[in-house]
Amino acid sequence: MPRAIRGVLVECDPSIKSIIVKIDSEDHAFIVEDLDNQTLVIKENMLAILKMRLDEALKETQQPPSDSGSE
Amino acid sequence: MPVKRKASSMYHLDVRGGAKVGRDSAASTPGPATPRSIGSSDEYSDAEPSEEEAENIQKNINNFSVESYKAKKTNAVVGRDSASHHFGKNDFSYLSLKPDHDNRPLWIDPHKGRIILESFSPLATHAQDFLTTIAEPLSRPIFLHEYALTPHSLYAAVSVGLDPKDIINVLDRLSKIPVPQNIRDFITSCTHSYGKVKLVLKDTKHYVESSDPEMLQRLLKDEVIGPLRVQGTEDITSTSAPKMAGLVIPGTKNFAGVQQATDQRGSNKPKDGEPVQQEDIAATLNEDDDDDDDADAVHQFEIGDTAVEVVQKRCLELGLPVLEEYDFRNDSHNANLDIDLKPAAQIRHYQEKSLSKMFGNGRAKSGIIVLPCGAGKTLVGITAACTVKKGVIILCTSSMSVIQWRQEFLKWSNINPSDIAIFTSDNKDKFARNTGIIVTSYSMVAQRGKRSYDSQKMMDFIQSREWGLMILDEVHVVPANMFRKVTSTIKTHSKLGLTATLLREDDKISDLNFLIGPKLYEANWMELAEQGHIARVQCAEVWCPMTTEFYSEYLRQSSKKKQLIWTMNPRKFQACQFLIDYHEKRGDKIIVFADNIYALKAYATKLNKAFIYGDTGNAERMRILENFQHNDKINTLFLSKIGDTSLDLPEATCLIQISSHYGSRRQEAQRLGRILRAKRRNDEGFNAFFYSLVSKDTQEMYFSSKRQAFLVDQGYAFKVITHLQGIEELPGLAFSTPSERRELLQNVLIANDADIDADDRGDDMFHMMDGKSKAKAKKKVVARRMAGALSELAGGQDMAYVEQNKIKNKELKRKKGPSSSFFKKMSREQEKRKKALDEE
Amino acid sequence: MAVSTLASFEYLEQLSGTTFQKLYRQPSTALAIFRRMLPHLGRASFAKKSNATGSLVPGLLLTLRRQRDEALSLLSRLYIVHITARTRDDPQVVSLTKGFRSSLQLALTGGGNHQSFGVPSSDSATADVDLHYLDEYARAQWEGILHYVVSSVGEGMHQASQGPTSAVKQLLKAGSLVTSGAHSGITQAGFSFLLQEVNAQVWTLLLLWIKNAEQMEMDSVDVLSFLFMLGSLELGRAYSTTTLSESQRQMLKYLVDFGLVYIPRSTPNQFFPTRLSTTLTSDATALRSVAAGFDAVNTSATGTKGFIIIETNYRLYAYTTSPLQIAVLALFTKLTTRYPNMVAGRITRESIYRAISHGITSDQVISYLSTHAHPQLLKSSAAHGGGPVLPPTVVDQIRLWQIENERMKATSGFLFKEFESQKEYDACVKYADAIGVLVWKSDPKRMFFVSRVEQLRDYLKSRKTK
Repeated sequence: MPRAIRGVLVECDPSIKSIIVKIDSEDHAFIVEDLDNQTLVIKENMLAILKMRLDEALKETQQPPSDSGSE
Repeated sequence: MPVKRKASSMYHLDVRGGAKVGRDSAASTPGPATPRSIGSSDEYSDAEPSEEEAENIQKNINNFSVESYKAKKTNAVVGRDSASHHFGKNDFSYLSLKPDHDNRPLWIDPHKGRIILESFSPLATHAQDFLTTIAEPLSRPIFLHEYALTPHSLYAAVSVGLDPKDIINVLDRLSKIPVPQNIRDFITSCTHSYGKVKLVLKDTKHYVESSDPEMLQRLLKDEVIGPLRVQGTEDITSTSAPKMAGLVIPGTKNFAGVQQATDQRGSNKPKDGEPVQQEDIAATLNEDDDDDDDADAVHQFEIGDTAVEVVQKRCLELGLPVLEEYDFRNDSHNANLDIDLKPAAQIRHYQEKSLSKMFGNGRAKSGIIVLPCGAGKTLVGITAACTVKKGVIILCTSSMSVIQWRQEFLKWSNINPSDIAIFTSDNKDKFARNTGIIVTSYSMVAQRGKRSYDSQKMMDFIQSREWGLMILDEVHVVPANMFRKVTSTIKTHSKLGLTATLLREDDKISDLNFLIGPKLYEANWMELAEQGHIARVQCAEVWCPMTTEFYSEYLRQSSKKKQLIWTMNPRKFQACQFLIDYHEKRGDKIIVFADNIYALKAYATKLNKAFIYGDTGNAERMRILENFQHNDKINTLFLSKIGDTSLDLPEATCLIQISSHYGSRRQEAQRLGRILRAKRRNDEGFNAFFYSLVSKDTQEMYFSSKRQAFLVDQGYAFKVITHLQGIEELPGLAFSTPSERRELLQNVLIANDADIDADDRGDDMFHMMDGKSKAKAKKKVVARRMAGALSELAGGQDMAYVEQNKIKNKELKRKKGPSSSFFKKMSREQEKRKKALDEE
Repeated sequence: MAVSTLASFEYLEQLSGTTFQKLYRQPSTALAIFRRMLPHLGRASFAKKSNATGSLVPGLLLTLRRQRDEALSLLSRLYIVHITARTRDDPQVVSLTKGFRSSLQLALTGGGNHQSFGVPSSDSATADVDLHYLDEYARAQWEGILHYVVSSVGEGMHQASQGPTSAVKQLLKAGSLVTSGAHSGITQAGFSFLLQEVNAQVWTLLLLWIKNAEQMEMDSVDVLSFLFMLGSLELGRAYSTTTLSESQRQMLKYLVDFGLVYIPRSTPNQFFPTRLSTTLTSDATALRSVAAGFDAVNTSATGTKGFIIIETNYRLYAYTTSPLQIAVLALFTKLTTRYPNMVAGRITRESIYRAISHGITSDQVISYLSTHAHPQLLKSSAAHGGGPVLPPTVVDQIRLWQIENERMKATSGFLFKEFESQKEYDACVKYADAIGVLVWKSDPKRMFFVSRVEQLRDYLKSRKTK
């Protein structure tokens, strides 16, 4: 009998996946199953927190808050 | 110290309040923001002046910010509606529009002194001329341009002869809304203090000059300046003001017919309240010399030679920055230099305009002219020299550009080659006759410590003379303290700074205003591109996704390694390879820029291309450049930071940037400048290309958009390319297998820190001047050996490209092309001159 | 106007034949629909004629024929025409339906005593209401609604006094144009609503209301005929409320809220239709001229006059004084400075993210910018041989910002793994796929992910027992 595990399937690009893996590596609170480069399953209740952490991590690659010239 | 004026109205007028008051209130006076961020500092950030005078300068600048002139209605309830909350304090909808506002092109922001210009207005051309004179251009894209009134910009406006009344009148005529009172106050009080006092060198005597006798009286009563007046001379003498009349800048249209001497303008002065007419504004703008009799008289008192610097400093403390002018036509003390532009040399309209600001009243004013790379800064400098016709000293950033400057002088002017000499570590010649031109570099002059005998002799010679004009090339890259050293050791009547961009992330630009002079002119990039003076450029930012391995490693590593990882991202490498291939096939000549030396070598070697960086010897450099220029087999050249400035490569038509200096807007502008003078720029439909390759999801993305900010505000548009069509099909695509990519990652990870750190110090000239970087260079060699050893441990096959190092460069050597004809000529001339001197 | 035609007729097409029969008893309805359908009728007959003469090139003829067929099918769905099936003996016959024809005849000849074009108030004490007042009133009401849709978010809604009535607010929420609660504010549908022409907006709101009215068990025929009647009324004239049916009188309250109708306080038995209602059933050209009459008042709301300049450096300048337009811009722009006739700001990643978080798509933002592009932008694009109106780099970037925001797709469900055999795995995957719950699978790993588990669990059990 196969096992069925409840969770959220996350499909994303490899970079996002790497960031998720990095976030998870701290306390392993997110990932249920690492499937491949672009897919993984995470705990259902952790999705919102993960999204938040992901946004934080991506912030440093973002455009600077408009400081060209006149602001 | 000025008498503290009573605030006569409800506006905050207490701006200049004297040294002590100023100091006390400095804390509460909002100064211009100095955005600083880690990593955005310049390579010369260690050159902090930290002198008292710098503090004073800053204090004075802070005192003059528009914000200290709070508008009365700041929080007026007038006209606030449901949309007002979107704007906070910046809802100016309460201002009343003039009935014919449609015909007027400007809005003025009463808080910040911002001006928005409709570039599609029929009056736009004139308004632009006017605004570049009185305000700082912030953004000039297609439709609406933004400018800012700043103390510096107004200082510059006054120095080119504009009167506060004129400024306000023209502004009012152009504006859709009446000029707000606080802006009027701001203009009046800035101009009130700026440019009122001039320092003039006449017959080798220094005079403090002003059109306002009261001002001089005040200075004479000052405890510091008073005693410095040369005893036994009259208190104050009066003469009539100089005029432009009679002076013609060579190369301009007037020059051919040696002008109809008298100035016929000025008679049609516009009256207030009349509808705007283009001629009015044009006339006002051209009225550099006022025909008002009262204003025409100037008054002066003499000070001793040694007092000059003290007076300058003191005036600055008093909030009365001194304007330096050189009445070169009446200078009989210094010998005239026999120099003129060749008849073939026609200067362009914007060059003429910039020079007319410098020579506006027939004297030479010190200041800075800002023209994009490739727009002919050198010719502006040469024309200035041909106008002054006195001894000229030119300071460049590298020995290479020293040579190029001299070459340009010979090309455009009729100067006798023996009258123009070079002072570098290799050449220490003087000119043959009693006056002439010396081209040298900042580092030669500012060098600390003991000099060689020849070099010391040369310095003595330079310092013993009085120069008519000093041209300072690329002023934005030179540290302020170096300027101080240069300008204080060499006696010169006037100074002309040239640069492509006055941007500095470290905010040191404001120092230049006082060390050289105000900005006299700043060209509009897009306009020059449209007129074909500089090349049109297609800019693109290519997003290179990180491979999973590289990205995971990126997330793990220290920030230093992070940089190397995003630069060495195999997808970026492939993009670079693809673009080189694509553009070589198109017949382009390509420059690839990499700040990081490790990456520079790795890329160039793997792709079998030539490269130049700081450690590349002069002979090898010339050989490579020669080949790039003339050999149709060598179409791609990798350059480190040394290529950012002063390398003149008009063959290049495509730039690819793979690693850069954080968020430096200046570097981005400079690099773009490398292709603006592309030889083919006037070919039908010609476009140059500028690619910036960035690794996705890394900090590089952040830096990249920061870097582009300046160019974007000049109207350049960066297209984002997320995928290069056909890249997968490129034969021989590097790192196309996972194992190759893993190898690459291994190499990057074991690369020694010192190797990664090899962020080229940029120009070799600067880097030679302090012992520190020499020591560093030595360390680098050791480190490289270490890396080699490590690589053996990791498996030699992984380090293939380390072994192949410099192959392409060597290949070029073997071919042994003729060394630059121009260098040959140089050495021939050198010989001749030596002979001539010997014979004497 | 095409938009509104679609919106209203899409709704009508769903109605049953009997409803239409009832509707067409009112000559005003027949006339209104006839007017609105005129272009289609014209196309149908034109194509027929040209078909007969055979003077057109075959390609064009085909297009025309298709257009005719489409037009005919629409007319028949609206029970305006009756089409007989083509047989060997008889050619296809198209005729107006009986009810429609007689009502239309009545409408055109002005016969009968049906009162379907409204009854002008005979009250001697007619309130003194001029056109300007009505326009202002309609504008204020309608802008109030739009304003609520735009800035129901946060601080924007300080001045509740100007906002619409709570009934309208309820309606907007019911129609999902705005949401309340944690993520309160404008929705994607709300932004689409804003992007429409006024007439289309009015219809959108009316149809929303009709749907709601059905729940209130109001007679939809009554309601619809009333709307069609409104479209035939004369602007500036007072009409009597006494001749209206009960549900129509009930409806009048809402129409006042919408600004379609004005009832003077002094004479509550009279109502004045505003321009918003008299143009309800006008065709496109009529609307355009009406819009001209509405002029500045109306352009501020949804006008087609371009006023936005967007630069390659992401700065945005909008020539406007309208708080409503400014509020719309504020949805996706970081506004900085406001001058008497212009506002300045810039489009930033954050400002676009904010818009996206309300469900506004990048394409909607781009379409708003291009439909309202300043004439200078159009001029410049024309000068470059009809190039893009908006700077392409900015358009790309706005789209990229949206894509960037959608880089992670999350699906809740169950991961199945550790199958005992390839056979078992294959069968389960096949079954999951067949019932449409399979989201992801990996054959080498023998794992798959499904969105729902119940059926699959039963299936597994049934396999076990087999």
